[in-house]
Amino acid sequence: MTATKDLFTTLEQETLICGRCGYCRSVCPVYEVIGWESSTPRGKISLAREIFAHGKRNKLGEDFVKRLDQCTLCGACANVCSTCIDTRSLWLELRKRVADEGLAPEAYVNLKNNLITNKNISTFSNSDRLEWAEDLDEEPEGLELEEEADVCYFVGCVSSFYPQAAQVPLAICEILMQAGINFTTMGGEEWCCGYPLVSAGFVKDAEPFIKHNVAKIKELNIHTLIASCATCYHFWKHACAEELKGYNLEILHTTEYLARLIKTGKIQFDELDEVVTYHDPCDLGRNGGIFAAPREVITSIPGVELVEMQHNRSNSLCCGGGGNLQSVDPALAGHISALRVDEIKETGATIVVSACQQCEQMLSAGIREAGLKVRVMDISQLLQEVLL
Amino acid sequence: MKTEVQEQIKKEFDERATDSAFECSFYTRDLAPVPDFLVDPLFKTRPDMVVRPQNTAEVAQILKIADENRIPVTPRAGGSTVYFNSIPTRGGILMDLNLIKGIKALNKDEMTVTVRAATTWSELEEYLNRQGLAAKSYPSSAPVATIGGWFSMMGYGVGSLKYGNLLSQLRSIKVVFPAGEIKIITSETSPSLDWFACAEGTLGIITELELEVRSFTPMCHYLLQVHETKSIASIITTLKDAAVKPYNLHFSDKYYNQAMRKLGFTAGQIEDANIIAVDYEGEESELKEAAEIVAAVVAGNKSVKMLNKNIALKEWEERFKALKLKRGGPSQLGAEICLPIEKLGLYLKEIDKVSSIYRLGLTSYGHVVDRGHLTVMTMFYADETKKVSYVIGLSLVKKIQDAGYKYGGYPYGIGLWNTPYLKRIFTPANLAQIRTRKKTVDQKNIINPGKVYKWPFLFHPLTFSLGCNVMAATRRICGKGEKR
Ligand SMILES: Cc1cc2nc3c(=O)[nH]c(=O)nc-3n(C[C@H](O)[C@H](O)[C@H](O)COP(=O)(O)OP(=O)(O)OC[C@H]3O[C@@H](n4cnc5c(N)ncnc54)[C@H](O)[C@@H]3O)c2cc1C
Ligand code: SF4
Ligand code: SF4
Repeated sequence: MTATKDLFTTLEQETLICGRCGYCRSVCPVYEVIGWESSTPRGKISLAREIFAHGKRNKLGEDFVKRLDQCTLCGACANVCSTCIDTRSLWLELRKRVADEGLAPEAYVNLKNNLITNKNISTFSNSDRLEWAEDLDEEPEGLELEEEADVCYFVGCVSSFYPQAAQVPLAICEILMQAGINFTTMGGEEWCCGYPLVSAGFVKDAEPFIKHNVAKIKELNIHTLIASCATCYHFWKHACAEELKGYNLEILHTTEYLARLIKTGKIQFDELDEVVTYHDPCDLGRNGGIFAAPREVITSIPGVELVEMQHNRSNSLCCGGGGNLQSVDPALAGHISALRVDEIKETGATIVVSACQQCEQMLSAGIREAGLKVRVMDISQLLQEVLL
Repeated sequence: MKTEVQEQIKKEFDERATDSAFECSFYTRDLAPVPDFLVDPLFKTRPDMVVRPQNTAEVAQILKIADENRIPVTPRAGGSTVYFNSIPTRGGILMDLNLIKGIKALNKDEMTVTVRAATTWSELEEYLNRQGLAAKSYPSSAPVATIGGWFSMMGYGVGSLKYGNLLSQLRSIKVVFPAGEIKIITSETSPSLDWFACAEGTLGIITELELEVRSFTPMCHYLLQVHETKSIASIITTLKDAAVKPYNLHFSDKYYNQAMRKLGFTAGQIEDANIIAVDYEGEESELKEAAEIVAAVVAGNKSVKMLNKNIALKEWEERFKALKLKRGGPSQLGAEICLPIEKLGLYLKEIDKVSSIYRLGLTSYGHVVDRGHLTVMTMFYADETKKVSYVIGLSLVKKIQDAGYKYGGYPYGIGLWNTPYLKRIFTPANLAQIRTRKKTVDQKNIINPGKVYKWPFLFHPLTFSLGCNVMAATRRICGKGEKR
């Protein structure tokens, strides 16, 4: 059977194909919070059809652009679409059209300008990318730009520059060192993967980022890349594929790599008597197809009981942090995260583990807000705690 | 609608009421891709405002204001119907019921569940499955269709063959009447439950429903490939009349299957043939007996071949995805007809004729909904961006309706667009009866006006038929159309 992704034709054609059945509405977290038909995938596609397939350009107004930006790009709508529309690609194309018309919101334009200047989503200099490594007990050899290392760890902007998320690369480094892996990072030569630009509609502006990162990987003669950010992973795997054509690069999410280390006996763990639930990041799970590896990793810890949330795997609820939503509507992102926090609470787990620093940041804030006594951890942090 | 009333509702419902032109514009269409130039001169489909009540009391509050001011109110839940059933025809208030959802109570002793009206069938099923239970039946639009929405329509779908239509599974409903009065309705009350089945939201607004459930049981699935189209009806008849009743029984004709294959949607080895899918649920002994029934049908009919179990399972898993055929369009037009099972062969033959005369490339599939009937959907591709041929295409839908009517069929669902066929759907006595009911309950005609009971002036069956025939003739003479 043909995969949904391969079926995507053009924006115009896909909007015409949409049957307006509304299956997508039932799973959209944005609609769940906003409640108006204008916020449903069905509603937005109907108006996009008017504008682009029926040429009613005058309907492309501020209200509509706002609704297009109120989307986490979680892909839940694509997962259930009755006419197999890859709606995630459709949302990206719509944002591109909006940006092409000069109608992108100010927050997106600022994000673009900052990225072009700094090469990362923070306001820090890109040469500070490895500052987090100062907190390592002992800095591994070849941490920066080591040619022909067995593995290159793509840290990602958030983990590189934001202290809370920096715990993730610290944990990953410790695990890799313990396992005796010869690994490196791109240090100050790591640029943003480019996804924030694509998801804001500035597709062309993302190209230099893709080209730069791929060129560096080739220059270092790296053949295995791991990413702990679910979105960086997804972007490397899909958006960089064209640029990587003809070059042999295995792209793995850290959960996949960690599962491999466990299977080959390179790392072992102490017992942990806790009930853990796992939150599937959208770009790793539903959009990336990786469900088993993180679960294998968690259940490999003796004593851990893994309980699933009501919505899990491909039906998992979004944390609210995707699609640049926080930059345009942080309150909406917070409400979406609260929906997920309710499900976490239902499980009775004492720890919620995820595999994306953005999800972890959203869930931490949500859990704090709800006053729950649940720890939020990246899967690597959980392993770090029990590493023998 | 008066500004003061609008302001009053906005004040009372705060952020759950809007009269923004932008927001209201999203409630002007359902699945039916009817062009603006055909709709807008005749109907005011854009509501003056949309309100989202969250409980029965709020529904009553809105209806009271509407009744006092004679404002039309259109109830809308999943909005997954196709005949403008939940689309305003005269503006007014669009009552979006989607906040009235969730499970209210489960009674395991009585095997009933009480749900709020806008709970979807998938949500209910998910909840029941976690309790070891299941819905007796649901529409094949379960991911979006609501319990209240399906009851307001005909209430036939997956599971109806074994367990009957939704009306037969209902114990009671809570209804808010036009003046805001709230009543619990059962089969014993007056008005009784049957008034509201198929009323398409024209008599009152349902906020809660108590319905029967069943135990969750194992299932088995079979997919039969049938080469001879004329054998479909007899095989279906054998299967439906056998000692074990199928839970679900449907067919798709070879043209439908060809179209699916062309789109890359056919799993595995389906040849150029018709398909019958039959699914059973029940105790292991029942499933064992069902297996023997299906095996006997295959053994006794040279035209039938049993397909691989995995493909049968896949067909079942895809039961909510019939719309994917639309990818070959981009638009699709068609009609859904409730047809006597024994007439299926003749109907399909007639459809063959219509298809070749008008070069339509018609494809059909259908579900057996009770012992005597199936609902058949017959469709053809169109392109709504090509205005003239599209409008002619719309008129050809009547040719499908006529083929159905010739063999005792009638449209499934009414809304606005099927009102020209009212006399096919109801006997004169039935029509008089439902019109009396409407008058009794909603004297001011404020609840979902313009639907079900009367055709609008320009839709008079004679004018409508004449218009459609003229356009069909145009297509017959000049149309290029599709080849099958
Ligand atoms: C792919 C697909 C498959 C389908 N399969 C089936 C099927 O198997 N069987 C079938 O019957 N239909 C089917 N349908 C049509 C439709 O989905 C169903 O009839 C569905 O049950 C309608 O529910 P809804 O919540 O979407 O109602 P809506 O479309 O919102 O409303 C339907 C009607 O009910 C009224 N209404 C809604 N809620 C209430 C309420 N609480 N109180 C009073 N009135 C109300 C509305 O005014 C309207 O007239 C299918 C549609 C699609 C797209
Ligand atoms: S991607 Fe997620 S948030 Fe965006 S429209 Fe689809 S379901 Fe809603
Ligand atoms: S599920 Fe797909 S076909 Fe249905 S309304 Fe949503 S986008 Fe359109």
